[in-house]
Amino acid sequence: MTTAQNAAGAAGVPPPAARGPIRTRPGDVLRSVAAALRAGETGAWRWGARVAVLLPFAALVFVVAVLAVKAYPAVRLNGGSFFTHSAWKIGSTYAQTVKTDGIAHPLGSSYGAWPMIAGTLQTSAIAVVIALPISIGCAFALTERLPRFLSRPLGFAIELLAGVPSVVLGLWGVLTFGPALSKTVYPFIATHLPNVPVFSFFKGTVGHGEGLLTGGLVLTLMIVPIITATTADLFRQVPTLPKEGGEALGMTDFEVANKITLRWVRSGIIGATVLGLGRALGETMALVLTVGAIFKVAPNVYSPMTTIAAAIATQLDSALTDGTGFSVASLAEIALVLAVMSVLVNLAARWIVHRTSRLGGPVGRAA
Amino acid sequence: MPPNPPAHAPVSPASDAPTQKEDHVTRKIRARYLAPAVLGAAAMALATAGTASGAAAHATHKKSKAVKLTVERPASGTISEAGSSLLYPLWNLWVPGYNAKYPQVTVQTAAGGSGHGISEATAGTIQIGSSDAYLSTSDKQAAKTLENIPLAISAQEIFYHLTGVTAHLKLSGRVLAQIYDGKVTKWNTAAIAKLNPGVSLPSIPIVTLHRSDGSGDTFLFTTYLSDSTKGWASKVGYNTTVTWPSAPGALGETGNSGMLAGCKATPGCIAYVGISYQTQALGDGLVYAQLKNGKGQYIMPSPTTVAAEAAGFAKKTPKTGAQSMIDGKIKNGYPIINYEYAIVSKRQSSSSEAKAVRSLLEWAINPADGNNATYLSQVGFRPLPLRVADNSFGEIKAIK
Repeated sequence: MTTAQNAAGAAGVPPPAARGPIRTRPGDVLRSVAAALRAGETGAWRWGARVAVLLPFAALVFVVAVLAVKAYPAVRLNGGSFFTHSAWKIGSTYAQTVKTDGIAHPLGSSYGAWPMIAGTLQTSAIAVVIALPISIGCAFALTERLPRFLSRPLGFAIELLAGVPSVVLGLWGVLTFGPALSKTVYPFIATHLPNVPVFSFFKGTVGHGEGLLTGGLVLTLMIVPIITATTADLFRQVPTLPKEGGEALGMTDFEVANKITLRWVRSGIIGATVLGLGRALGETMALVLTVGAIFKVAPNVYSPMTTIAAAIATQLDSALTDGTGFSVASLAEIALVLAVMSVLVNLAARWIVHRTSRLGGPVGRAA
Repeated sequence: MPPNPPAHAPVSPASDAPTQKEDHVTRKIRARYLAPAVLGAAAMALATAGTASGAAAHATHKKSKAVKLTVERPASGTISEAGSSLLYPLWNLWVPGYNAKYPQVTVQTAAGGSGHGISEATAGTIQIGSSDAYLSTSDKQAAKTLENIPLAISAQEIFYHLTGVTAHLKLSGRVLAQIYDGKVTKWNTAAIAKLNPGVSLPSIPIVTLHRSDGSGDTFLFTTYLSDSTKGWASKVGYNTTVTWPSAPGALGETGNSGMLAGCKATPGCIAYVGISYQTQALGDGLVYAQLKNGKGQYIMPSPTTVAAEAAGFAKKTPKTGAQSMIDGKIKNGYPIINYEYAIVSKRQSSSSEAKAVRSLLEWAINPADGNNATYLSQVGFRPLPLRVADNSFGEIKAIK
């Protein structure tokens, strides 16, 4: 038996019928070589796929592990007050370094990250609260109300907005948008809101454009395209039958939109919002430029403050001047906090999606 | 007094052969310093003839320590510089001048703040880190091969934006500390009005600007405040980055240019800016203040007052160059001046790179080249005193 016949037999291909002297035909060779390759290729393909699947997870674990190792001295010394204190003090690097618990740090250093954490939550909250209604309305208009000749270019324009780099939006925010708002919109809001304690956060000195509200509005511009695009895709998937049935039963257009279309894709919208929230939590460059760099919790909505990502970006050079490495360790600690925050937000969103997709689905929709 | 202008214009293309150029420079230095020094020594020896021989021995001992400031000719190389935004405008003047003589070395400059300069030099990503502040204790412990080399003498000014007030307000360190502490919040407060009788101050709130990046200007300003008030020294201290007390409406800016842009946009602002940005600030409509010095006088920043203060510290400056020149008790001296430092590692990656770095720095401190009035006067700096230049030369020679 020739090797070709051997290989063919191994691959399960029946050997060519014997007709006179056994002659190996080119087609047989090719077929058997291909069979041999496929047998080896399956292994290589499977293993390649396994590595590819594990790579992102390994990267995540690696990043968190490196951050945790780098942050360990700071975690030990800063303790729980890291989350409640407000002063980010590098200490006097021109005096002698001291050792506490065996960890070297400059005299007088103490790190409190509360203003940064509060700032991150505040800017993200403002962005999501303003972006959500805008995005849902936008997606709805694009998919259900606007004529095709309008919805196509507008949808394209929104996707273009998603592609604008955050540093460009930040520069525009600090040079044009912020100052313009602080001269027109902010004074209007600050003076015309009633003098009630609930609204005291929105009254007071209006500043010059760099602050919490400006940063929140620039973030809104960044997450609106994400939520709009995802929600528009979801709206397109809602079947026409329930909607037409609702109209036939006498529901108004708004009732159909609210009770049928929106409710159909409710869990998907939550997922889209979390995508936007994830971008807002970690957004660095736009906020570095628009939010100022003041390490205090904003006393009113127009004042400069800082967020975790903006603080890490602006403080890294200063932290590197601390030769003991303690300042960099504290920055790594706050970066770890941000990473954990993003993971928790993602997990919470998955849980909510899981819950809302089960209960209270509209009539006719499979759970 | 600035030295005599060189025979060749600094930006003219190099046309002489290299060795001739070096001898030419060395010959000029020798001609300028050695002849009068020798004559002076001879005169002193004659004058003290008959008195204790110790004096003559002291004179000759001094003469033997005179250093010839030469500039090495480098092979080709690339030097990266980054750091102080105060020194940055001068680097942009120096580099074309240096390249006119030695085009084979490419020098890349950047701003970013003194903290950035120090940290990058420590990490080794750049060869020359510019800083207005000398190395801190922890910096020196972290990187033992770094040295701070004085390159020139600069100063810092306090600018304010008050429409209608063109007078140079008198401010003291104590009042500035109260302003930045949030205790003095309006321009027409008694504390400021008392120092400036006859000036009508508007009743607008003071907006304090500070640097949010690691800044040598912050180091200089907080040193001045720490020297003036014990409260500031204990609560905030001095550093390239400090935790600023909460003053109402305080803003953080990046870089000296950021401070100027912020102050220009904010009526009622007060900001500390380096003297190299004075022309731009005055063009923006800002005014600088007269500051109280250690003798209780209110001094305007000018070449004379900066030189007077620098002269008082020339002898005190150690060989390492690390010397704070803030608030010295010197008559008619402007209180906020400093050496501009090049933070360089004594161990460079290769000997040709070390030679390029040495060549650039030697050119910079040479009174005929970088330390000449043609460059320094454009940014309001002063040249190094000869004694300090000699120290810097010794530090530069240690770069291998």
